Formats: sequence, C-alpha cells, structure tokens
Amino acid sequence: MSDQRGVRAGNEGRESKYAVKMDGITKRFPGVVANDDVDFAVERGTVHALVGENGAGKTTLMNILYGLYEPTEGTVHVDGVPREFDSPRDAMDAGIGMIHQHFMLIEPMTVAENVVLGAEPTKLFGLLTDEDAAVEVTRDLAEKYGFDIDPTDRIRETSVGEQQRVEILKALYRGAETLILDEPTAVLTPQEVEGLYGMFDELLGEGKTIIFITHKLGEALRAADRISVLRDGELIATVRADETTREDLASMMVGRDVLFDVSSEAVERGGATLAVEDLVVDDDRGIRAVDGVSFSIEDGEVFGVAGVDGNGQAELVEALTGLRSATSGTITFDGEDVTDHSRRQRIADGMSYVAEDRQHRSLVMEYDLLRNGLLGCQRLPAFSNGPLVDWEATGQYVDDVLEQYDVRPPDRSALARSLSGGNQQKLVVGREFERDPSLVVAAQPTRGVDIGSIEFIHNRLLDLRAEGTAILLVSSKLEEVQRLSDRMAVMYDGRFMDVVDPDEVTEEEVGLLMAGQHPDGGAGDR
Amino acid sequence: MADQRTVRRTAGIVAGLLIALVFLLVIVPGALAIGLKLLGIIDASYARSALRLTVPIAFAGMGGIFAEKSGVINIGLEGLLIISAFSAIAVMWFIGGGGAGARIVALFGGVLASLVVTLLFAIICIEFKADQIVAGLAVWLIALGFAPFGSIVIWETVNSDSVGSFDPLAVPLLSEVPYVGEVLFTATPPVYLMLAAVPFSWYLLNRTAFGKHLQASGEDPKTLDTAGVSVRKVRYMGVLLSGLYCGIGGAGLALNAGQFVGGGETITSGRGWIGLTTYLIANYNPVGAFLASFGFAGLDALQLQIQRVPGVELSSTLIEIIPYAAVLVVLAFVGKTRMPESAGEHYESED
Amino acid sequence: MSGRDPGGLLDRLVDATVLERIVISIASLVFAIVVGGVIVTVSGTVATCREPAFVLASREFCYDPIELYRTLFDGAFGSLINLGLTLQETSILLFTGLSVAVAFRAGLFNIGTQGQMVLGALGSALTIGWVAPSLPENIAGTLVIVPLAVLVATVVGGLYGALPGVMKAYADAHEVITTIMLNFVAMGVAFYLVRNHVGDMTTDSVQTTPIPEFARLPPTIDGTRFSVLVLLFGLLAAVLIYLLYERTVVGYDLRTSGLAPEAADYGGVDAKRNIVGSMSLSGALGGIAGAMYVLMVHYRWETDMPALGFDGIAVSILAGNNPLGVIPAALLFGALKGGSLQIDFALGIPPELVEVLRGFIILFVAMPEFFRMIGSYAGYGTEGGETDG
Repeated sequence: MSDQRGVRAGNEGRESKYAVKMDGITKRFPGVVANDDVDFAVERGTVHALVGENGAGKTTLMNILYGLYEPTEGTVHVDGVPREFDSPRDAMDAGIGMIHQHFMLIEPMTVAENVVLGAEPTKLFGLLTDEDAAVEVTRDLAEKYGFDIDPTDRIRETSVGEQQRVEILKALYRGAETLILDEPTAVLTPQEVEGLYGMFDELLGEGKTIIFITHKLGEALRAADRISVLRDGELIATVRADETTREDLASMMVGRDVLFDVSSEAVERGGATLAVEDLVVDDDRGIRAVDGVSFSIEDGEVFGVAGVDGNGQAELVEALTGLRSATSGTITFDGEDVTDHSRRQRIADGMSYVAEDRQHRSLVMEYDLLRNGLLGCQRLPAFSNGPLVDWEATGQYVDDVLEQYDVRPPDRSALARSLSGGNQQKLVVGREFERDPSLVVAAQPTRGVDIGSIEFIHNRLLDLRAEGTAILLVSSKLEEVQRLSDRMAVMYDGRFMDVVDPDEVTEEEVGLLMAGQHPDGGAGDR
Repeated sequence: MADQRTVRRTAGIVAGLLIALVFLLVIVPGALAIGLKLLGIIDASYARSALRLTVPIAFAGMGGIFAEKSGVINIGLEGLLIISAFSAIAVMWFIGGGGAGARIVALFGGVLASLVVTLLFAIICIEFKADQIVAGLAVWLIALGFAPFGSIVIWETVNSDSVGSFDPLAVPLLSEVPYVGEVLFTATPPVYLMLAAVPFSWYLLNRTAFGKHLQASGEDPKTLDTAGVSVRKVRYMGVLLSGLYCGIGGAGLALNAGQFVGGGETITSGRGWIGLTTYLIANYNPVGAFLASFGFAGLDALQLQIQRVPGVELSSTLIEIIPYAAVLVVLAFVGKTRMPESAGEHYESED
Repeated sequence: MSGRDPGGLLDRLVDATVLERIVISIASLVFAIVVGGVIVTVSGTVATCREPAFVLASREFCYDPIELYRTLFDGAFGSLINLGLTLQETSILLFTGLSVAVAFRAGLFNIGTQGQMVLGALGSALTIGWVAPSLPENIAGTLVIVPLAVLVATVVGGLYGALPGVMKAYADAHEVITTIMLNFVAMGVAFYLVRNHVGDMTTDSVQTTPIPEFARLPPTIDGTRFSVLVLLFGLLAAVLIYLLYERTVVGYDLRTSGLAPEAADYGGVDAKRNIVGSMSLSGALGGIAGAMYVLMVHYRWETDMPALGFDGIAVSILAGNNPLGVIPAALLFGALKGGSLQIDFALGIPPELVEVLRGFIILFVAMPEFFRMIGSYAGYGTEGGETDG
C-alpha cells in the first residue's frame, strides 16, 4: 500500500514534493520550550504520523502549522512557499485543515451550518446566508468522498463517528489539501478505526495529504507511510513505517527501553467482595443503559470492563458507587446488600472511586489540594471530630499522598486547577487508594494522563491488588484493560457480551465483541 | 424548526395566561362585570399607548438577545435605558427649541451615550475579563446614581424640565385604515423604529452569517475561533448592538414622555429588567421577545386606564409584578430556557 | 501554612491570592475615588451655584473634589452623632454583606438580598404589631419581642431565599435571574399587602403602624438610633460564618455543593439540598438585616426601603466574599452613606454621588485583570491568581 502511495505522490508536478515543510521550529511558552528546533516535512499524497508522549509537543507543532500559535523561531513552507500564519484563517487559505481531538462543532447547529461556519455561502449580495446552498455543497462533498451523512441533522443528534466526518468535511469545504487529525482514533471502536483508514484512502485518492497525531504506535505503523517521533519538544527521528518496529518507536518516544508487559503475579484470593446480580440501570433520560449485568469480584482480583464509551459503563459505575439508583437487581458488598445504600454509606463501607471526569466529579477545581484531599472523606472518623473537620489529620494525609504519589507541585495550598491532568489524577488516585478500601472502582483512570503517570498509576493498582483489594477497572483503552485485568468483560449496549481471559483473547476478537458481534458469528473482515 | 418551537411555546404561554385570566373572571364573584368594563377600555388609543410603552421593553429585550447570544450576559440593560433616557433629555434641553430635528438629535444623543457606556462595559468584560454579572450590575447601579445626580446638577431637582415630546407621525394612506392605521401608522418615530427592528433582528440573528457567528460565539467560541472568525470582534458587535438597542429604547421612552424622571427607579421603572424577562420567556427569539414586551406593556397600559374606570378596584402593584412572576414560572416549570453554552464565560484566544 | 490552622486569619493574610484580593480592593477604592472626583469636578462646570468653589482657566467650578472627600470623611466620623449614623449603617450592611457573601462563597450569586430583607422587615414589623399588645411594656417584653421579631425575619428571609435555591437545584434556573425577579415580586407583594391589608390604614403613606417603645433597640449614642447590640451581633455573625465555612463539615459540604455540585455528590453529599441550604442561610441573613432595620432604624415597615440589599452586594464583592473581609467593607460603605448627607448640606453636591461611587467600586473590583495588567506594566508581574468565590 505504501508503495502505491509513493507513486501517486510522485506524479504531480508541483514545485515541491513536500506538501508541508517546517524548518527549525521553536516555540517557547513562559517557562517551557514546547518545540525545540524541529524540522518536519510531509510529502504530498502520503499519510504521515506524528507520535510522542503527552506533552512531547505534537499538538503544539500542529497548532503552529494551523496558525493557532506563532512559532518563536523557524519557518513554515506550504507547497514550497514560505508562509506566516496569523490565524487559522490564513492556514486554511493555504490549504491546511485541522480536525481537533475534541471536535469543534456547535451542538445546536446542523451539519451543514457547521461545515460552512465562518465561510457561509450567501445570497442577496452577501446580505443573507444561503441555507440551501450550504446543504447542497455539504451533500456534494459527502457524496464525493463516500461519507454517509445527512446535512440537515443537528450535531446533537449525530454519533461520534459522524461528527468526525463532519469535521473532515468542514476542512475539505475550506479547500484543505493537507489534513491534520489530532488523535483521531481515541473515541472509535477498532472497526470504526478501520473505517477511518478507509477514509484516508479516499482522501489520498483525491490527492490530499494527511498528518495524524497519535500516541498509539500500532496505529502509526498500520496507517502511515512515514512516522516522526517527538520527545520533550525535539524531533527525534522520521522513519518509514515499513522499516521500523514498535519497540524501536517506543524507545525513541520514551528515551529508554520500555517493557510492554507489566507482570501481575498471582495473588491469593479470598471470597467475593462485590457481587452484582442482574443489575438494571437507566440513564438520565430514562433510557435503559445497563440491561441485566451480573458479575462478582474477589479480593485481590482486577475485573476489567472494556468497551467503547457510551455502552453503559458510566451508568454501571455510577450505580455501583451509589451515585445513581439501580432500577432493579442487587449489589452485595462484603456480604451485605448495599443496593439501597447511599453514596455516603458506601464510602463509609470502604468503597473508593476514581471517577472518569476528574475535573467535575472527583476534584473541585476552585479548591486547593488540602480541601480536595478531604472530598469524600469528610465524614470518616479519621478526618473529622464530630461536626468539625480535623484539618491536622487531613493535612497529614494529603502531604503523605502528595509525597508518595509524586504530585507536583507538592504544595497543599496550590489550587487543583493549576495542576496538570496527570498530577490531578495522581492526587485523586492517592486519595482514594490510601484510605484502605476494600473495593476500588477505577473508571478511565489514565485518561488524559501522561505516560509516566500512567505507568505509576498502573503499578499502584497492581500493588493494591497484591494487598488483597478488589478492583473494578473500566476503561475504553483496550490494552490497559487487557494488561491489568484478571478477568475481562466486554460491554456493548448495556450488556456484557462476554467475560474472557485477557491473556487468551486476541485483539480482533475483543474488537468484534466491542462492536456487538460474537467472533464465532464470523462477521470479521480481517 | 427551533424558531417554530419557540413561537409555539410563546403562544402557549400567552394562551395559558389568557385561559387563567378567563378562569379568574369566571370564578371570582363580580370579576366578570369588571372584565366587561375593562374590555370597553381596549380601543385604538389604548393599543397606541401600549405600543408606546412597548418601546423600551422590546428594545432592551431584543438588545439583550444579541449580547447574550454572543456569550456576554448584559445584565445592565436597565442601566443603559436610564443613561440614554437621561442623556436624550439633557441633549434636548441644551439644544433648546423644540423642532422635530432637535428631537432626532436628542435621540442620537441618547443612543451615543448608551453606546459609550456599552463600549466601556464590553472592554471591561472582553479585555479585562470582568465577571459579566458583576460588571452589568455595576452599570445599572452607576446609572441609577448618575442620572439623578446629573439631573440635580442640571435642573436642581431629580426630575428634568419638560422639554417637549415626539408627535405622532401619520403615514399617508395607511393611517386611514380603520383601527390598524390608527394604531400602527399614526405613531411616534421610536415606535416605527421598533416595528422595523423586530423583523430586522430576527433576520440578523437567523439568516445572516453574522447571526450564525454570534450564536457560535455564545455556544462554543473556540470552534468559531478555529473556523477563522474573531470571537472578540463578534462579541464586541453583539454587546454594542445591545447598547444601540437600549439607546433607542431609553431615548424613545424619554422623548415619548418629554421629560426625565430621576426619583426612585427613575423613568424606566424596571423596564430594562422586564426586557430581560421577555427574552428569557421567548427563549432568545426577538419576535417572541417583542410579543412578550407588548403583552407586558399592554398590562401596564391597562392598569393606567383602570384607574379611570369607576367601581373597579384592581391592585396596580399586583399587575406590575406579573412579568417577573411570569418569567419565574417559565424558568421553573415550562421547559428550560436554554442559555448559550458559554454565556458568561470569558474566552481567551490561544495566542 | 501551619498544620493546625489551614484557614486561620494569619495564614490567609500571607496567602498570595488573599493578599492580591486586598490589594485589588484597595486599588479599586482609589480608582473609584479618582473617577468620582473627576465626575464631580466636571459636573461643577455645568451646575449653577452662587459662588464657585474655584476658578480655573476662567471656567467656574462649583465643586471642589478635595473638599468633597474631606467633607465626606467629616460627615462619616467628624462627630459622635455622625459616627453613630455611620455605625448604624455599618451594622445593617454587615448582615446584607454577609448574606451575599455566604452564597457567593458557595459559588452562588444571591442578588435577592434586597427582597429577602424587605420581607424580613415586614415579617418582623407585623409580628411585633400582633404580639406587642399582649406583652408587658418593660424589659421583659423587650426580651421576648426582640428575639421573636428577629426569629420571624430569619424564617421569612430564609424561606424566601430557599425559593431560588430550589429553582436552581431542581429546575436549573439561574439564580441571578430568579433572585432579581424575586426582588421585584417581594417589593410588589409587600407593597400590596401593606397598602391594602396589613398596613396603617389611617395614613396615606404605605407603611405599618410604628412598633412600641419597648420593642425598639435602645440607642447607644444619644441623638442617633445606633445600637451597639446590632453591631456586636453582626460581628459575631461574621465570625461564626467564617468558622462555619473554614472549620465544619457542614460548611465544607455547603461550599462544595455550590462550587461543584457533581463533586459534592461524589463526596457523598446531597448537592441539591445543600444548594437550597446555602441560599436559605443567605436569605435568613437578609431577613435579619430587615429586622434590624425595623428594630433599630425605622421602627416600622415603610415602602421604599433603602437599597441596603444592593449595598450588600457591593460590600461582599469588595470583601472578596470573605466573611471577615465583610467587616471593613461594611464600615467603608457605612461611612459613605453616613457622609453623603454632609456633602449635600455643606457643599450642595447631590448625595446620589455616593451611589455612583458604589457602582464604580464594584466595577473595578470586578476586573482584577485590569489591575494585573497595570501591575505588570509597572513591573510587578503577578502570576494570575484565581479569584476566590
């Protein structure tokens, strides 16, 4: 496939074979060098992956290319012409389009309105927008690239995959020749990811160039022609995808050899800490989100739940932790029926919870770290004297957590808001892990967290397991669940498709389960 | 689609109020007789005065929509009405003489004063990242203090001298149409401006690129920014439009009356706040906001007239609180009025 | 920070954000004074006066800004009686300021203190009117009726504050909008009731009958109505609320619920109930302010109560919404009010100027970024601290 693309790129006679060439790019923010003398070039008509850890400077580099940042030093060439972008509009005019990780779409507006936003077709000498023309042009573009999408749908009513397509259409409408995709697969199932690669082919067929940012090495190897690795703001190397290996890339990315296997030793198990029987949970709109789920977790066991976001995992977790009431079914915790226990009781019972949305759920951004350390603990005897908060004990506890979990800055009077995502999460994990829980519910514990912190959090989870704590791990990162779990359930549409042994199952089998198909149904295409 | 829903919703609310009113008339003894007497009041002159009273409310309401849709909550609408009412009369007084030209100049004077204050408000909110609610309150409180202060400085009492007011302007031919002509086409210039502003506002908001940008700026400024449109410019425009509208509304109010009254809540007596209620009730639809304004102004005109009807004892105070009670009911019970997602939040462009 | 006392006053004072708040508040004050001075000076060219305060470049200026602020200060503190007037305002502003601060501290903006105060005042005036005739007109009667009046006002204000709390928690209605609207409703309903049903029907003005002598708080300074009891009560309330938020589990829950309802739920707290709780507490303080107004200042309920509730917003904002900061802020606004009469008597400057100053103080405090920019131009670049509240 790569060779084919090389041919396609070669037969066009423009001045430069590079669609984009960035020379000596340096970007400094107060106190940080985000990009340090980076040379980055992308051949026209190819797929180029940009890999690196969180904070390595990938997004900064692409934001410079897209005109969101001005480089401190260095030049940007598009089609061989040096350019200076003051705003995304300039970049768009030069044929650069960007699809951000968090989609940039106005929810209450329609697909067509979003596609043309900022460059609306008008009538009556520009006085009024031409709604019909917007729909028309969107439909034409979608047909040209084989995207299945209705221009009159409101974004609110569309799926994540569709929204991604709207984003691509948006860029194409603006005449993008080079498309930048920031972590495009983060929200997709393995099958949807294949669909995305299919779209890449369509786009290349029309002579477009694709740059995609990822930290998943497998994806880079699978989809790209060339791969550039960034580390600490520096470009380490650019290699051909067919001439490198996962291990090489990983060591370039991290700067040392990386072990992909975390050894989880066998732990002696006790009885079931948590037993869930036929649990049914409705979501906020009253629609069934969890539809009859049963499982149990023993002491010292990690039970993983994999699946694409939005298949009932969030509601399952909320029902278990006491934030949402179960419609039917029972939850037994340490031999006691806790189905009707409030959240407060469950905390007192010894349930810890690392919530998915740390910015709203498990932290108060306006509070300092001391006050955040108290969240959820404020009624435990160790943290209060009757009606009064025991700030001394709380302070001790928080200081311990800050030190043991290497939270930076280790300053309890810093506001949570001022911490990086990884440090925020380490604080939450520390607070929840260190008060000797008998069950930990960890939902997406490493989302938006840098690699160093991920490794740390994974190790703490396994330590906890070794101490005999039962752990429920819910994550949309398949490799995370697979690596850490003793048993793994795949959730689809409110049900467990299957509970499998993570060491036995293949990624393809899990992918099919995540898409709602049983592997023996034989519907897979790879 | 969304507009139809809003119009239907507003219509539903109005119908509900009417049904409640009829119900009240039937069950309260003697109320029916009163109701019939009141019906007698509703004639062309009543409708005309209701329309005149709609001017400040509708302009404040429609103006507020533009600011809030762009993402800047302008809670200082009442203050802007006060400033422009005071300034218009002050300009009129300084010019002296009473020609129609002087009144137009005074109208511009009021609008200009409102725009200047609004520009300051916009700078404070957009450049200095002020809390919009607090800054808006400050605008109101400053106006509430400044207008009577200025009145005393100029006229030595909180009320201005009488400076003459707008005369009704009859549109040839159209004003001959019975009733409709008398109401709609024998009106003062501010009323005409208002009648033109309603469709204009709707189109501006829903059928122009600027309107789309305005909405995007209030919902998701970052998306607008990355689409290559300056959020700052859009927000300045949105806020300044609210200042322009309030300027016309306040100056129109004062010049329709021919005097500035600075005591208590001043001549505006809370009409800016009522304007705020109208667009919340109408869920940010300018047509709905106008209709609600007309409804509330109609009640206001009614209670002025009632006092002339012998044998009718209706508390004008209770009628006055209807708009406020109505918006509370709407917010609490009738579906949610959805604020723009990012309204009230400062937006920082990334460079 | 010391381990023992994470929220202690001394620690808070050295806390960068608190220090910054104080600097911003003082700077705002200075800027408002300058702007006020300019407005007065310019107005002086328009006003007509018998003899100008000064003449500059052959223009006559009726008002002298320096003289203005000197007179303002003199009017506030120049004599025992003036001081009494100032402290009388201060005492009530303590309660309205705390009312706003209590909600603000928990991330809720209660603009409805005015309405809660109006209804609290009416509740206490009516209670006294109904109960007083059956009580002995002596100290025993006072000891019964005053706490009772305060209690009723607390309950009335608290319930009226709970209303927007409920609407916020259960119908997601923005408390800024609902409290503004409820102000108008409260004033309208109170006016209607007093005028048509419960007022003093012997007079044309809309008011209740005056409360009897023994229900009035005894003046501490002769020639004024200031009662030191109210001041002490207000100071006590400020300290108690400070301790509530800084030291108790309940206070922690109240704050968390308002600032981050989802996080509160996560922490095992019913955020909705606590939001209603914060707003009720806020309303109760507004109600108490109303009772104090009746018991100490006006001795009856009358329509067009002074805008002490809106002043409370200014007090709280200037105080950075810190319950202890409310104390100096209330004194400042009390002094402005106390001095405003003097500038009218002595200089003929309209006392409404004080309201303009109030507005500008709020405006400047609302834009800390403005001062940070000035600070960084002047070379004192501070890291952008977060506003607390």
